[in-house]
Amino acid sequence: MNVANLLEKRRVQWQELEKLCDAMEVSGRTAGGGASHHRGGAGVSRFATLYRAACADLALADSYQLPPGTVSYLHRLVARAHSQLYRSGRLNPSTWVDILFYQAPQQIFADPCVRVATLMFFGLFTLSLLLAFNDDWFPGFADRVVGQKQLEKMEEMYDQPLFSMDSRTSSLDHYVSMSGFYIMHNTGIGLRCFAWGILIIPCLFTLGYNAVALGAMFGYMAREGVEGSDNFFHFVTAHGPFELTAIALAAAAGLRIGTGWFATEGLTRIDSLRQAAVKAVPIMAASVALFILAAFTEGFISPSPLPYLLKAGWAIASSGLISFYFVVLGFPRQTPTRAVDGTGTA
Amino acid sequence: MAALDTTIAVVTPENIAFDYQLAGPFRRLPAYLIDVLARWMMLALIVLVMWLLGGLISFAGLSSYLLAATFLLYFVLTNFYGTLMESHFNGKTIGKWACGIRVVGIDGGPIDVGRALLRNLIRVADLAPYAVLNQVNDDVPPIFFLPMGIFGLITMICTRRMQRLGDLAAGTMVIVDERNWDLPLTRIEDPRVAALSSYLPQDYRISRSMARTLAVYAERRHYLTPMRRREIARKLTTHLIDRFEFRRDIDPDLLMQSLYYKNFLWEPSREPIDLGALAGFSPLAKDVAEANPRVPEPSS
Repeated sequence: MNVANLLEKRRVQWQELEKLCDAMEVSGRTAGGGASHHRGGAGVSRFATLYRAACADLALADSYQLPPGTVSYLHRLVARAHSQLYRSGRLNPSTWVDILFYQAPQQIFADPCVRVATLMFFGLFTLSLLLAFNDDWFPGFADRVVGQKQLEKMEEMYDQPLFSMDSRTSSLDHYVSMSGFYIMHNTGIGLRCFAWGILIIPCLFTLGYNAVALGAMFGYMAREGVEGSDNFFHFVTAHGPFELTAIALAAAAGLRIGTGWFATEGLTRIDSLRQAAVKAVPIMAASVALFILAAFTEGFISPSPLPYLLKAGWAIASSGLISFYFVVLGFPRQTPTRAVDGTGTA
Repeated sequence: MAALDTTIAVVTPENIAFDYQLAGPFRRLPAYLIDVLARWMMLALIVLVMWLLGGLISFAGLSSYLLAATFLLYFVLTNFYGTLMESHFNGKTIGKWACGIRVVGIDGGPIDVGRALLRNLIRVADLAPYAVLNQVNDDVPPIFFLPMGIFGLITMICTRRMQRLGDLAAGTMVIVDERNWDLPLTRIEDPRVAALSSYLPQDYRISRSMARTLAVYAERRHYLTPMRRREIARKLTTHLIDRFEFRRDIDPDLLMQSLYYKNFLWEPSREPIDLGALAGFSPLAKDVAEANPRVPEPSS
């Protein structure tokens, strides 16, 4: 049989496969085209048969002496069908439970990057808080870090009482839209820290800068005689632990990727980077979970007129939860069956 | 050997190796710009809808919740647009769909949510360094940044799969998703080709490399001038003319075409070719000698 004949025969099936690919690209299933044997399970099995046939044709292309144009056509056809057959996976809840409650705490407990990022963030935060708080010993620190205008703006922002009988609606409005803005802003800081992590130095700079700036704001607001101080702490206490930890964790995940450039452990640099990214995913997942918790807290508890005691209680409870998560779930275990290195156990 | 062209071979679970065409910066930049545009349009739509909602429903305290919701949607859209699109539409965003490219794993497999998240978040680092516009012009507020994209460009140039930093970390690559689907098999209309092919010896078997060469020649000869065709074909057919005992002044281009015809298009079961007006001619060297024996053979 000559090549033209062979092509004529095979072409019918190839065009059918193309039609199925078209339908799958548009709607994600094989139901397009209208023919009854392309619907549902029959369509899927027809697609698989045709795909395997095209694969076989490609494998035999050389011995059939197919012309190069046809071979490149087959390459494209197989590639197209391949990317439809092996589609991107949907979210699998059990995998995420495994990542969040098993891999992430183990990874966080064992990872030196987490320690570096956390120490740096909370260390600089505390230092800057103390420097800004004590205006007698370190005059003008907060002004220089945050800027006089910013500070005045912040005082103004927290000027309205969070809860009072007469102006209840207006100030609640104010704080609700503010919490929307702050969820966006602070999660944005976390995501930026993570993204810059692959270049390491910008990540450390972003993390350090935000730690110092946040610390200075906190310190300034905690001073005696600053207006809106009560409202400020009323607002930030509840979601603070979740959000600050989440920022530090995001930076840690970024740094973990960045260390892949030099801590190669015998792999090529690019493979090592990819391996490091695989390790960073659980940390980032934990950070995202904390950001989501922080966002809910910030959306529903922080701007609400609950008494300060409840909010402080929530902050303490959330700190306890985080500690439990890091230490109890994260403490190294002796179960050898499940890998701790995060290379996808599920 | 590192190939010069930008294809990458992928081995499927069916144990078939096929080639993907990689997408370079000049395909990916327009896709990114379209994505930015699409994101802005979505944002404008959200703001419009929120504004209409706020205007239509007058309810105490609703506007601030709408404002908060707008902030949140803006945040999700700016940070997770690519992740959501790529994981849901099988490695494509709106811009990638428009430019005909797709993200796949470096093993050719599909991209999952984790990988999509990694490569899209790290884009911030890829677009670095940023030019702050108010350094140039003091009137511009210091919120407008112009990404230069040098880091991504350099890593794209340096890696074989043309990956930016995000692709390197996530283990993905961007490939061209071909959509033009014509099946090329060169048609040969010239009646002399069929006539000549009937003189080819029946026992001549074409080797694989010869078949490939013939197919490439037949596909590309349209782009060449007749002189150039002959020049190329002569090099390939000199020893064949001797072997088939054809006359020396035969057109080498015609001989290549007839070989192609014999190999790819002709089949034995078909009835003998109607030679028509060409019936009297013969390409064989001995026929030339019989017909006009006094004419000397032209030296090639």
